[in-house]
Amino acid sequence: MASNRRGVGLSAFSNAAISSDQYARHGQQLRTSHADALANQLSVFQAALHNFSLTHAKDIRSNPTFRAEFARMCNAIGVDPLAGSNVKGASASGGKAGSVWAKMLGSSVNDFYFELAVRVVEVCRETRSENGGMIAISEVQKRITKGRAGVVGGGMEVTEDDIMRAIESLEPLGGMFKTQTLGGSKFIRSVPKELNPDQSTVLEVIQVLGYVTVSMMQANLAWERARAIAVIDDLVADSLVWVDSQGEETEFWSPASMHEGG
Amino acid sequence: MAATSPEPSLSAFSTAAYTPSTTAYTPSTTTQATSSSTSTFNFPTYTSFPPFYTLQPNLTTRARQLELWSTLVTSYCAHNRIFRLSLSSLPTDLFNNTHIHRSLKPADIRTVLDHMSKPESGPRIDWVPSTTKGEQSSSCYVYWKTIGEWADALYGWVDDTGQKGAVLTVYELREGDAVRSKDWRDMDEGMLRKVLNALVKRGKAQIFGQEDNAGVKFF
Repeated sequence: MASNRRGVGLSAFSNAAISSDQYARHGQQLRTSHADALANQLSVFQAALHNFSLTHAKDIRSNPTFRAEFARMCNAIGVDPLAGSNVKGASASGGKAGSVWAKMLGSSVNDFYFELAVRVVEVCRETRSENGGMIAISEVQKRITKGRAGVVGGGMEVTEDDIMRAIESLEPLGGMFKTQTLGGSKFIRSVPKELNPDQSTVLEVIQVLGYVTVSMMQANLAWERARAIAVIDDLVADSLVWVDSQGEETEFWSPASMHEGG
Repeated sequence: MAATSPEPSLSAFSTAAYTPSTTAYTPSTTTQATSSSTSTFNFPTYTSFPPFYTLQPNLTTRARQLELWSTLVTSYCAHNRIFRLSLSSLPTDLFNNTHIHRSLKPADIRTVLDHMSKPESGPRIDWVPSTTKGEQSSSCYVYWKTIGEWADALYGWVDDTGQKGAVLTVYELREGDAVRSKDWRDMDEGMLRKVLNALVKRGKAQIFGQEDNAGVKFF
């Protein structure tokens, strides 16, 4: 345009109107082309991620380190490798992303954690009579790595992280499996009954010291004898502790140490 | 009631910490003279768990405990080739752990064996009837293999070695040179009788003569 761009005077109004209109249209064009470019990049990325997970399905299944890295990568880009239905942070594709991610990552990741979750449930059920439904994650990990009795090569090489992720995936089933930390160790609780604060305290003490007696509870927790006895009776009734009556005073032990070192 | 006492720190606790043994417990005494093994029995970790030697008051826990004892007794006897346990002279390291100063009370040992004598447990042991009327049995056969499995093994060997039709003495079957490498070598005679009777019932064997001079013919 030959006219003065500053456009003072009456002509300025029409210029301004024309300009902003042009700018608006140009802006719209830019947005459209950016959105297109983004969508294009995204679909390239989706394909790449899908291929990646297929190519490395075997690694995902067999290699815990690889799995941890894969999970970290997914988290970094805001993808839940399991459910595939959450996209954290800003999402260009909106709600449609749900099934897209699951499709992209392929069934390998989901299958792995599903199978692991099944094993975790099995282990909890098998050991419930021994530990009242509270089992250390380290013990679950050991048992799953060892594999099912009588099945050759039936063990899964898993880490505690894997187990935590598998348990989280069980969340939609109604929270049957919760984790709880006692004395620095993580436990999985597979029975609905929650521990009250006193019970948790005693289990924590046992976790740290190996066992507890009524006198120890009285002396160190400043509890009255009746209170200590009531709590320990509860724990025995729930199969959460084992009784040793051959010490000077009756001792109450956590089954967590029963198979340790084996 | 301790109303507003501050949260005690765990470091204030008196420490009588139990450190689980990470090595297999090796018995300090030898087992019964007739059947010692060449390698030491690998005691499972739970034999170093003190409550294992107290009969658990919680019945669910007790059921699990009895299962563990059953497994232990069976595998211990299999390893040491013990066919019969006598309550008056039990192996010293089976129901005791001297390292942790714990042992299963005699009454509880009987409870464990009673549990193992139930059909739903195998049965893994069989009480030997007491010679005195009205008295409780004080010894039992241990079936680390069932009578049926022993019968199969014995008959299989007779068949493989072409001894069908021949008459073998009970002595030969128990202690002969030919059976030196066999699992049933030195089997308690009473138990061997049960095995042979099982074969008789199957129509695979016939027993002649009495007691020490008994002979067996296999078909």
